[in-house]
Amino acid sequence: MKKQGRAALVVSYAVLILWTVILFFPIYWLVITSFKTAVAVSGMPTYLPWVDFQPGLHAFEYIFVSNRNMVARPFLNSTVTALSSSAVALFIGSMAGYSLARFRFGGPGSSGIAFAFLSQRMFPTAVLIIPFLLMYRDLGLLDTRQGLAIAYCGFSVPFVVWVMRDFFLGLPVEVEESAMIDGCSRLDVLTKVVLPLSAPGLVAVFILIMIGAWNEYLFSLVLTFSEAITIPLFLQIQTQTTLGTAWWNLSAISLIAVIPVVVAGLALERYITRGLTFGAIK
Amino acid sequence: MQTPGTEAVRPPVAASRGVALTDAAWKWILLVPAVVVVVGLLLFPMAMTLYVSLTDWHLYAYGRPVSFVGLQNWPRVVTDITFLIPARNTVVFVLGSVPTSYLIGLSVALALNQITKGRRFFRVFFMMPLMISPVAISLVIGRMLLHESMGPINDILVRLGLPIVHWLTDPTMAMISLIIVDAWHQSAFMILMLTAGLQSLPQEPYEAATVDGAGKWQTFWYITLPLLAPVSVTALLIRSLDAFKVVDIVKVVTGGGPGTATESVTLAVYDLGVKAGDIAQGAAAAYSLLIIMMAFSAVLLLATRRWVRQAS
Repeated sequence: MKKQGRAALVVSYAVLILWTVILFFPIYWLVITSFKTAVAVSGMPTYLPWVDFQPGLHAFEYIFVSNRNMVARPFLNSTVTALSSSAVALFIGSMAGYSLARFRFGGPGSSGIAFAFLSQRMFPTAVLIIPFLLMYRDLGLLDTRQGLAIAYCGFSVPFVVWVMRDFFLGLPVEVEESAMIDGCSRLDVLTKVVLPLSAPGLVAVFILIMIGAWNEYLFSLVLTFSEAITIPLFLQIQTQTTLGTAWWNLSAISLIAVIPVVVAGLALERYITRGLTFGAIK
Repeated sequence: MQTPGTEAVRPPVAASRGVALTDAAWKWILLVPAVVVVVGLLLFPMAMTLYVSLTDWHLYAYGRPVSFVGLQNWPRVVTDITFLIPARNTVVFVLGSVPTSYLIGLSVALALNQITKGRRFFRVFFMMPLMISPVAISLVIGRMLLHESMGPINDILVRLGLPIVHWLTDPTMAMISLIIVDAWHQSAFMILMLTAGLQSLPQEPYEAATVDGAGKWQTFWYITLPLLAPVSVTALLIRSLDAFKVVDIVKVVTGGGPGTATESVTLAVYDLGVKAGDIAQGAAAAYSLLIIMMAFSAVLLLATRRWVRQAS
């Protein structure tokens, strides 16, 4: 029995280390490529800085100095659209989540309504892009941050409703009831009792929808083309240049785009796990 | 919360504050904005797409009146190869990438369940792909690592004395490359779901199995896997519905090529509906994807119903 246990342990660690290597290698490649020169990228691949190639900061010079304006724009667009759409979606969605968690609903019931919200998330985005294009053309919202933020907000709300309802159901209702008995109005309860208690849930959901909007590609492709393009679209356009792709610059831009969301996500890992699995994990 | 001192001063009931609303009012005030957003930004556009698919609307035909043509655009979705090929590619992609990420997720989750040392590190690190932009990871894996002449994967194959692989120029390999990128990215979701599933399994069947002298392999096949059925089906369903929508990694890694070997339905809707302007045809194709997805979900849920019921 003991021997079997040890064998299982060895196999387990082998599997885990193998997957760690598979996950790590592309990240490693992204990091070293961003310090490579044109010579080190074209031709035979080079693996080790200082051994295979001489690392340099020219890609970061390109981003932060010589082409600052061109690169800063998509970053600004992504930041503004992701933050504003997520803030509005968080506000609207968690209100509905609270309503569905605390009040009784007839017909399909509050869980039925919540599921109807969630099912919106499952529909293909392909069925949305054409009407958005038509409406935005008439409303003058094409290629604007506002337009993109509105679309992202619509896309995030169903998810917020689903996850926050689940979160509010886990909060003790007795605290709210005793506050009401003490004379608090529903608004006082919401702002002074519920809001502080639900802060971890709100932060987690905000991070999740923010990451979603930050990485979103299709709507950006359809609704923006020059002024309001976001980082994913900017990166994809850069790979299709006919002048030869500057992989070192692209790597550096990707790296800068990836670091903030990965840091935020992993730092709040404890809180977002539940949301990442749509509340399937308690 | 109020301090005890202020409580006494306050009027006993909220109604006396003037602006008090009943719970029945609050219930709707809180819910309605989200309903308005969902109806306005999701349901209305979906209905509009359905309407567009029944017309001869063209994006660049300014001034020409749009007329209703009934189901005229629909037969083309099932007869024209410009839509049939993307539909086939998308189904192949889903059937390739979802089971791959499930098997990776199951192996890693089982391994995580065995160990105690370093468990937290692995768990957190394995979540990392879910935060990374699909476009960025498609760039790194699809365009750099799998680059046929400058990429390290082919370089390593050559050093090992193996033939190089045409990752992006061979139609079959191009699809496999997309599946590799997707598996790298999405196995994290499977790992999360299945790790949680394993942790919530009841202990009694295992104790009974030990008493009966069942081996590890038997325990896995006859206890663990059947008990995981509900979590597995949920995870497979969520992942499949997501994989049907694939567009960003296709656009970056292969651009739908070589030829149309990896063009997905969503990319076809964009290329033919938006870029070429034939939105009526594109709308019909978009709806065909919705129909494929609903049919797939129904089949998956029906086929697995027995296992899920047995587990619960």
